[in-house]
Amino acid sequence: MLPLISLILATLVLGTVATFFAGARSRWVALATSVVFLLEVAVLFVNYSGWPGYNGALVPGFSESESYSWIHLSWLQINYTVGVDGISLVMILLTAILQIATVIYSWAEERRPAAYFGLVLLTCLGSFGVFVALDILLFFLFWEAVLVPMFFLIGFWGGPRRRYAALKFFVYTHVASIVMLVGLLALVFYSGASSFDFSSVYAAARSLAPVPQTFLFLALFFGFGVKFPMVPFHTWLPDAHVEAPTGGSVLLAGLLLKLGGYGLIRWAVEVLPNGFHVSQPILFFIAFLSIVWGSVLSLSQRDLKRLVAYSSINHMGIVLLAIALDSSLGLIAAVLLMFAHGIVSGLLFMTSGSVHHTFGSRDIPAIGGITPTTPALSTMIMVGSLASLGLPALISFPAEFTALLATWNGLGYWVFVPLGILVVTAAFYLWMMQRMLFGPPKGVPIGAHDVPWYEGVGMGILVAFTVLFGVLPGLLVNVIVSSPIKGWPGP
Amino acid sequence: MDLGSFAGPFLPEILLLAGTLFIFLLDVVGVRSTERVGAVAVAVTGLALLFVIADLGFAPLAFLATIPAGQIDAAGTGSALYAFTSLGLIFQAVFLLATFLVSLASLSRPSQDRGAPIFFGLLVLATLGMLLVAIASDLVFLLLAIEVTSLATYLLVGYTRKDPRSLEAAMKMYVIGALSTTLSFFGASLLYGAYGTTNLAAIAHVGGAGGVPVLVLLGYGFLIVGLAFKATLVPFHAWAVDVYDGAPTDVTAFLAGGSKKVGIFAFFLVFLAPILFVRTGTGSPFANGAIALGPILQITLGVLAVLTMTVGNILALLQKEMKRMLAYSSISQAGYMLIGIAVGTAPALAGATLQIFAHVFMKGAAFLLVAGVTAWGIGPLIDDYRGLGTRRPVVGVAFALMLLSLAGVPLTIGFVSKFVLFSAAVQAQGYFVWLAVAGLLNSALSVFYYARVLRVMFFEEPAAEKFPAGAIVGGSGPSELPAGGFGYGRAAAIAIAVIAIVAVGIYPQPVLGAIQAAAQHFVAVGA
Repeated sequence: MLPLISLILATLVLGTVATFFAGARSRWVALATSVVFLLEVAVLFVNYSGWPGYNGALVPGFSESESYSWIHLSWLQINYTVGVDGISLVMILLTAILQIATVIYSWAEERRPAAYFGLVLLTCLGSFGVFVALDILLFFLFWEAVLVPMFFLIGFWGGPRRRYAALKFFVYTHVASIVMLVGLLALVFYSGASSFDFSSVYAAARSLAPVPQTFLFLALFFGFGVKFPMVPFHTWLPDAHVEAPTGGSVLLAGLLLKLGGYGLIRWAVEVLPNGFHVSQPILFFIAFLSIVWGSVLSLSQRDLKRLVAYSSINHMGIVLLAIALDSSLGLIAAVLLMFAHGIVSGLLFMTSGSVHHTFGSRDIPAIGGITPTTPALSTMIMVGSLASLGLPALISFPAEFTALLATWNGLGYWVFVPLGILVVTAAFYLWMMQRMLFGPPKGVPIGAHDVPWYEGVGMGILVAFTVLFGVLPGLLVNVIVSSPIKGWPGP
Repeated sequence: MDLGSFAGPFLPEILLLAGTLFIFLLDVVGVRSTERVGAVAVAVTGLALLFVIADLGFAPLAFLATIPAGQIDAAGTGSALYAFTSLGLIFQAVFLLATFLVSLASLSRPSQDRGAPIFFGLLVLATLGMLLVAIASDLVFLLLAIEVTSLATYLLVGYTRKDPRSLEAAMKMYVIGALSTTLSFFGASLLYGAYGTTNLAAIAHVGGAGGVPVLVLLGYGFLIVGLAFKATLVPFHAWAVDVYDGAPTDVTAFLAGGSKKVGIFAFFLVFLAPILFVRTGTGSPFANGAIALGPILQITLGVLAVLTMTVGNILALLQKEMKRMLAYSSISQAGYMLIGIAVGTAPALAGATLQIFAHVFMKGAAFLLVAGVTAWGIGPLIDDYRGLGTRRPVVGVAFALMLLSLAGVPLTIGFVSKFVLFSAAVQAQGYFVWLAVAGLLNSALSVFYYARVLRVMFFEEPAAEKFPAGAIVGGSGPSELPAGGFGYGRAAAIAIAVIAIVAVGIYPQPVLGAIQAAAQHFVAVGA
């Protein structure tokens, strides 16, 4: 069988390197890489046969798995081990979609396009690696590899306060990664795992006593949680998102936040069940705090991009809540929510970027009645906002519905906290649309015209997937439920 | 024993001695051009490096091996004064590599530099002392070998004889160095009084279980202080920054990349045996009512390591000048290396050795690059590097790679070395986990000042007046002459370093496997 994952990694590595050196043709190289990447991911999807079981695959329970020795010392067994299950597959699809949409949306980037597109591809390469890595060092490597290109994307192509934002982003997430690394190393050496592979760590760590499991879980949770971002370690997010260039914001919100959620599910919840149970109250507390505080912050924003950025905290709070429920339905909801939020927030960041290009401002009260001037852009804003507030037949609806259902099953009346918040945010989005899209024109410069083709196509791709998976969420759910997660009852 | 079979194993050392004498001879007969004298130094160190690599068992070079099989890593061979260990040979390779890179880069020094023979001659002489340190198995032999290196480096720091800052640095280094030598020898004499021998292996195996005489504690205490000066450990570090800052930058590259590691390896040699002899792992230093020497040394060295990392990093954070920042960062890196001996297991020693190996490429090359950039007319402040990354992308990316490697970002050699080192500390469990935590927190802290340089280089607009005409040609973009402004030697040295940083960062197994095997032998022989 073809080593499909390594093939995709090779595609991305070659594409990234070629993009860096392609000069003026870099956008074409980046586009070609993205197209090939998307096609390969499609093959990966088609090949995925659900839970393959412990049928002699290299890594039990994962398909497409490959394993080669990498660092081999008497006390340190590190392998290049990769593989996918349903959860990582959905995240990989998200990566491929966002990559191609970002490349097309940023088509006209003029400041050092080769470096820009190269860094965009590098970010996606790192994220893909995180989603397929089944070895602790490999995972950490890709995890950190996302950091550096994003640092440069924010710092070089960003807004007025980009230097501060880039440094803050780098330091926050790097410190969190280091705490996570301590946790991961301790996971290996205290559990007595024979190698850094997921399978051996999984087998060894689950039998640890609850107290060390709790310490390990909290260390890992801190590392993943800062990326989430969880309140009170969320303050890097608004700075980074707002100052980053549009493409950077899309990848930040769409991919980087998902790394935290994915890592928590893969390396902490699954591997340390006892520690997870002990820590559940902490997770619930932080989840509710993030949901409420994130929406309070987003309601007080005037800047469209800030609004989207802060609402990410709120949405990722719901993801954390869904994970913390420790139920199959909750995990399905968490993965669906991450996918939905990745697509929708990417779309919203693109629209806010286009609003900024077209009207020279993102101030919601200063702009009004833009629909006659820019019908296509208004449509995109509307789709994005409606998806964000959870309109049925758009991708967020099945995700949020599942999450609320799982919360009701797990926590009963507590479900009214996220539900109430959703209603308030929905009202706020409607009000924003009413002010910006309709009514008498305001703040529309003379000669303003609709978005250029590339921005339209970039957003159009995301709109298409919003509708596709909104109508047919089963495409994703069927893949997710066949994942070999602990205690998985199956569909 | 005929002369040939005696001299054979010492061929690298003899080669360096001959090289030194030849270079000074060239000075006498009037050949003083940088290129010619430098070529001798490059050739001598390069050839010696090949010999050492062959001795390490690198098959394709086996015909160059000088040490007979069976004499490496075998206890009781050689003499009471020296012993060939594969870890020692790896350190020889590291030392030779540092000198090789520095002399290669120095080929590009301005040719009006009158001191070329002195510079290269002393460089090779200092390296000779370092090679001797790596094979020492006797305390006095070790301290004398360190002295050979030290004397050469005092002169090296002040060799220009014109710059008052260099002279001040040389004087400062000389005074501190003399003090530290005195303390070391005093400690050695106390140990001789207690044990009746100065052989390192024999010292460890006297005393021990029945408690430790005060004389021994005092002896090791003085040795720690004396060697700590050499290895720039906090609180014995204050001289290092002024010296690193004041010395000609190529000399600084040698001090940071090469000669400082002598102190670290001396720690390995002197303290591993007593730590292993009363190994209680995580035991209390006051077990069974008697003072156990091993845990006391481990705790002392651990505290020194944490102090060195933390103070070095915090002070680096406060610096405004590039060289001083790199100097403080170099001090903090010595703390990481000390973790290896404080933990005292083979994995930890391997991690520390890899860190030392990595440091040659990261810090040594960083100073070489700074020297080159300074020759373009860029000032000493970090802010003077504004826009360098966008104006000279190749140089900027090379420097960025070195800094990212120092910060321990993955896919660089610096990440691998820290990863192995901290993994080893966690693997040893007990209170060593806290060394790993302290090390990791420190590397998080260090990101602040490395990222700041990246920010200055890549995100800030250059201040025009800092770039004199001719230094930066025209606009920007990768189409510009890459690293051409450095001269071939310096560009080659930096290219070697960058390739090593990335290659070992991606696939460390060949280097790491050799180092791990050497560390295991070292621990096995020392125990």
